[in-house]
Amino acid sequence: MKTKMKEYRAKINLTQERLAQIVGVRRETIIFLEQGKYNPSLRLAYKVAKALGASIEELFTFEE
Amino acid sequence: MKRVLIGISITAVVLAIILISLKAYYVLVAIIVGGLLIGHRELWSLLTTRKLPPFDERVKDNMSRSIRNGFIFFAAASVFLMLTFSINQTWKPELLPVLGGLFISSGTVYWLSYLFYDRAEPNISERGLRMLKIFLIVAGSSVAVFILSVFLHNMISGLFGKEEPVFFTIATIIAPLGLVVGLIGSLVLFIMGLTAQRQ
Repeated sequence: MKTKMKEYRAKINLTQERLAQIVGVRRETIIFLEQGKYNPSLRLAYKVAKALGASIEELFTFEE
Repeated sequence: MKRVLIGISITAVVLAIILISLKAYYVLVAIIVGGLLIGHRELWSLLTTRKLPPFDERVKDNMSRSIRNGFIFFAAASVFLMLTFSINQTWKPELLPVLGGLFISSGTVYWLSYLFYDRAEPNISERGLRMLKIFLIVAGSSVAVFILSVFLHNMISGLFGKEEPVFFTIATIIAPLGLVVGLIGSLVLFIMGLTAQRQ
């Protein structure tokens, strides 16, 4: 999985800690999401996309 | 979450009273140590930030898998011990210390599993994960091969009245070697995953 979370987060000047608080997850979860090392559920992907002002498709791409 | 914590606290107090009244102090210590191992992150977060960390989906996944591993270990170890006690009639240890030991070791398996899923697994490559699986299979198989070889060696030696060499060699050299290789390989990959640098 590839993600553009870091870019979108940097655009709105949001820290990982703050994003984690908004979404309601641990900071480690945000770190692993940004590194593409954790596949989020649809619910979590939606919450992250909403917090970053983007769509799920803009943020997350899955390689075949 | 508060209700869960209150429920756990009440259960813990009741269990402690029961165990103290039965003078099963080692079981009580085992449960306390196990609880500390299991809840060490939550306790640390409470101590440093005065609040519990979020119980998010990744944590739930990791906990479920770790509980599964701890339970499988507990079940397998219990069956192994029951078989050992039934075969060896001269060794009759007390139930409560054995139970305490089982709880502590199962709790340790849970803790190591959680540490692996939370910290190491995301940092290990696909190839590394395949190698880890192979090392764990080698280690587990070596234990099974050792037990089977000892049994077969004793049975064949008893049947023919002389020392049987093949299963003896497997039990004393090959199986322990396999166990050492499997454990060291697993440990190296585990530590590499734990110590990998985060971006």
